[in-house]
Amino acid sequence: MSRPVESPVLTATGIVRGHQLPRRRPWGPRDVIAALRGVDLQVAPGERVGLVGTSGSGKSTLLRCLLGLESPGRGTVTFAGRPVRPGSTASLRWYRRLVQYVPQDPAGSLDPRATVRELVTVPLRHLQVPGDHAAAVTTALTRVGLDPDLAGRRPGELSGGQAQRVALARALAPEPALLLADEPVSGLDLPVRDQVVEVLADLSARQGLGLVLVSHDLAVVARLCDRTVVLADGLVVEEGPTADLLTRPAHPRTRELLAAVPALPA
Amino acid sequence: MPRRGWVTAASRAVTVLGVVALVGVLPWLSGRSPELSILRARSAEQEATPEALAAIRAELGLDAGPLGLLGHWLSGLARGDLGTSWISGGPVGPGLVEALGVSVTLMGAALLVALGTAALLCWPPLRRGGRGRTGGAVGAALTALPEFLLASVLLLVGAVWLGWFQPYGWTGPSSVVLPALAMGLPAGGLIGRLVADGLTVTATEHWVSTWQVAGASAGQLSRALVRRTLPALTTQVALVLVGLTGGAVAVEQVFAVPGLGRAVLGAAEAQDLPTLQAGMLLLLGVSAVFGGLAALTRALLLGRAMRSGSVPVPARATPSRRRDWLLPAGAAGLLALVAAAGLGRDPFTSAHPRLAAPSAALPFGADASGRDLLARVAHGAVQTVGTATLVVLATLVVGVLVGLAPRASVGPVEVANAAPPVIVGVLVAAALGTSQAGAALAVSLVAWAPIAAYVAAASDEVRRQRHVTVLPVLGVGPATVTWRYVVPAVLPAAARNAVLRLPGIALALAALGFLGLGATSPTPEWGLLLAEGMPYVERAPWAVLAPTGALVAASVLAVSLSGLSRRPRRPAAPAGLPVRAAAPSPEQPAGVG
Repeated sequence: MSRPVESPVLTATGIVRGHQLPRRRPWGPRDVIAALRGVDLQVAPGERVGLVGTSGSGKSTLLRCLLGLESPGRGTVTFAGRPVRPGSTASLRWYRRLVQYVPQDPAGSLDPRATVRELVTVPLRHLQVPGDHAAAVTTALTRVGLDPDLAGRRPGELSGGQAQRVALARALAPEPALLLADEPVSGLDLPVRDQVVEVLADLSARQGLGLVLVSHDLAVVARLCDRTVVLADGLVVEEGPTADLLTRPAHPRTRELLAAVPALPA
Repeated sequence: MPRRGWVTAASRAVTVLGVVALVGVLPWLSGRSPELSILRARSAEQEATPEALAAIRAELGLDAGPLGLLGHWLSGLARGDLGTSWISGGPVGPGLVEALGVSVTLMGAALLVALGTAALLCWPPLRRGGRGRTGGAVGAALTALPEFLLASVLLLVGAVWLGWFQPYGWTGPSSVVLPALAMGLPAGGLIGRLVADGLTVTATEHWVSTWQVAGASAGQLSRALVRRTLPALTTQVALVLVGLTGGAVAVEQVFAVPGLGRAVLGAAEAQDLPTLQAGMLLLLGVSAVFGGLAALTRALLLGRAMRSGSVPVPARATPSRRRDWLLPAGAAGLLALVAAAGLGRDPFTSAHPRLAAPSAALPFGADASGRDLLARVAHGAVQTVGTATLVVLATLVVGVLVGLAPRASVGPVEVANAAPPVIVGVLVAAALGTSQAGAALAVSLVAWAPIAAYVAAASDEVRRQRHVTVLPVLGVGPATVTWRYVVPAVLPAAARNAVLRLPGIALALAALGFLGLGATSPTPEWGLLLAEGMPYVERAPWAVLAPTGALVAASVLAVSLSGLSRRPRRPAAPAGLPVRAAAPSPEQPAGVG
């Protein structure tokens, strides 16, 4: 079922991660629920991987481990052979330049007091990306299909779709090799969702940008991802080429996910 | 999570030990040499030879440095020895235990008054099922008067004019009434206002309409409203109760009740530090009991929900109305008018007949030294507002800095929040002597805590906003996140919060002045003016009325502004917004104590 990935660039091996629950009684022991129970994941350069699963399947926790924001209880994350683990800002700078992140509700991740130019400059300045930052901002805005004249506006003066693209442009500004996106289109109107999906598809197709897309929306995964990994109860239950997986699901949990989609676009 | 809990617990433990240690080393801090007075107290004949004095110093552990002194004091405590008075030379324990009994009786009576008052204030909103606005006018009026002022007014009306009760002493049940009212009414007003407001807010939550549709009876609904509202308020109610210990000092002083508060105040004035130390320890114990009872109540009401840290605090949904500004604006205008009228006059020269009655030339009359009361009240306003402004600035800086480390600062914030300014004033006066600067220091030592609690809660909220949680991925370090993102977002509201507390701080300064722990004569300070007028209250009521009027105006300002500060400026957040219940509330009442 699982297909070997040639020369993976991002590798997660045997990730185990638990969350502590509050005590039942003040003197009682703390219960621990396992969010991830030994997950392996490989992403090849330029590959587009969909990470799907119901709420509570461990998608977001895995993403936080991949981003070096959380330390896995057991297991390792490496990028091109270098270990990735939470540490000082400086110790992860190399990784953040190569792997960027689009959060859930990207528009909400924009500081309402800053201008678009300031927002997109933030990773350039703090990741100490060399080069002309003003030019890099213009390039990033153009790449996501935004008019560079918008650079002087603030998030409140943008439409929903424009704000989403600014968040994308910010992630793309340091010219990363891989983008991790956590439900980047959930909760968006359909037209806006389609705009953002098209921008992502265009970027990865034309510029070889790798993508790990966390989503419960199988239509988006079908449009964007070559390969899909299904997480359930903290384990990878199925993975394979997206087209195969969606047409011939093997695992019951995958079938449940598919059954929940009203109608897949062709 | 366990590590964070550890930081919080350590912060609490270190703070409590620090306060006890501070009390323990007071004699060293004050740098006084009590051996001669102790020698004289013990025997009139013995020569004050260097050997005899050194023997007493050694016996008291005074030459052993701060740590030796602390050890000496603590080992004495372990043996049940509370210390030796520097004035009488005898043990301080027995007298203080007796005083504790008096104070506990008085606090118990005050508690009954407070609970009765609070119940009366909460009855109307409960009967209406929590609908409609709470008038709050009665509650606000009761809360408005700080204990020392209410005590003076009650003494004037109940004992001097009506003659129903004894003015002074502790001789029977009738001498409990006025002090208990003076302590219990403000506390009850505050608790009642908190609970009534809370009930009104809870009643707007969605589950209430669900219950009504499901056919819940009025009684069931009332019980559910109370049960939902009280847990969020237990911390604040506990603070009000702990504040009774501060109120006890002022009230016992006014009515000459031989309780712990008066003993502590007397010890501070006489520089009898061992008595002060032991009294402080007992007062701390009383506060700890109140705090523990509140925590227990909260745990019983909430159970496991509390430990999951997800109990939503009822979100206040009352919009601010324009006429809410009328009362504070009126009070501020009145004070400004008095200041403008009197600032050109001379507050220090005794140019008038002693205790002259008000007239066209002397609108407020003259005091016992023949000084112009209008001039003294006006200059007092400037003096008080100036000092209070400095205190506000200091508390804002300290509050923001401390609030940025929410977990480590839990202990200091809790202790400073609970410590009544009067008690801290007694400690500062004992260590540094009485002065206006000492009073300002004492008030600053407690007034930063609400700001810090507010900043801690608000910065926690800012740190959870999506545009801040994303920053680490963009390479922004923790220090930059704090200074470039969190502080600018929190500072404006924190500054507004601090400025709205100015009248409350002015009142706390006045309370210290009234008790002789602040400004000294002839400074025209409001609290001191009131204290100076009290002995002449029967012959010349205007000597009391002028400063009382100014203090009442400041109190009205304090309470009405604190009400405004608790309303959100933006459209109300959805009810039941999941704010962490453990987060300290920014809505500490102003002007308690």
